[in-house]
Amino acid sequence: MDEPRDPQLLKGVLPMLVLALLTERESYGYELVTRLHEAGLDDLGAGTLYPVLNRLERDGQISSRLVASSAGPARKYYLPTDTGAEQLWSTARAWQQLAVTVDGLLARATSKEPS
Amino acid sequence: MSTSLRDTLVRERYLLRFDWAMQDFPKHKTVVRELRTELTAAASEVGMRQAVADLGHPRVLADGYLNELGRPVPRWTTGAVWGGLAVGAVVYLVMAYTFGTLDTLEQLGGGTIEREFLGATAVFTSAEGGISAGTTLTWQALVFYALVFTVPFLLGARVWRVRSRLADARNPRRTAPTTTAA
Repeated sequence: MDEPRDPQLLKGVLPMLVLALLTERESYGYELVTRLHEAGLDDLGAGTLYPVLNRLERDGQISSRLVASSAGPARKYYLPTDTGAEQLWSTARAWQQLAVTVDGLLARATSKEPS
Repeated sequence: MSTSLRDTLVRERYLLRFDWAMQDFPKHKTVVRELRTELTAAASEVGMRQAVADLGHPRVLADGYLNELGRPVPRWTTGAVWGGLAVGAVVYLVMAYTFGTLDTLEQLGGGTIEREFLGATAVFTSAEGGISAGTTLTWQALVFYALVFTVPFLLGARVWRVRSRLADARNPRRTAPTTTAA
């Protein structure tokens, strides 16, 4: 059974995950929520994602365009900008370095049997 | 596909509460408008009730947007409420003093008294024909009444937070949150 996830852990990496998913293909807000659920983040709420999208757009890391839909109202599709693509690359590297450090520390700590 | 009246009410009720909680967010009307579009789009897939439920409490959602600003913002709405309460308290005290004075004059058999406050003269009269109260105005009194609103307004609004906004305007990347890994 999966351990319950600390929301703070997700909060730090969510912008990076959003950029990564949008690099694969453009998406609108609710579709991104669905894609994150399918990727395993099934406890993520749309209310957590929308402020992140707003900030990424304000910072010029993603751009948006309205696309008419036959199944409802027009949807706002997001796509990474060049700045966003650079940010994703540097953040991914930082994340990998951090992950190696964290894994090493955790391996040492969890290798000892609790008394 | 059009939105039913019931769904529209559910959506607009949520957005009204969200709008109120977002009043201190720069250009918050744009965010509210975009959220309306997102909600309507999501509702066409999962229904309006579920779409609204997925957003969580409007206050918490607004906090999410404010946190993503990466800097504290002035709370003008709170300041206006504080200022309004202070003015209301002073109006209440002035009315209580006025009616108390007129009641006392009436109990004493009538008459007129004058009181001075910051150079302004207040005249209270109780006579057979009725009661009256009036005052002159001085610039000192006007300044006092202006301060009664302004000081709580500025304190309630945390006006010093404007400084961080001005600093951000000069250097936009100073406090802007970055996409960090942890």
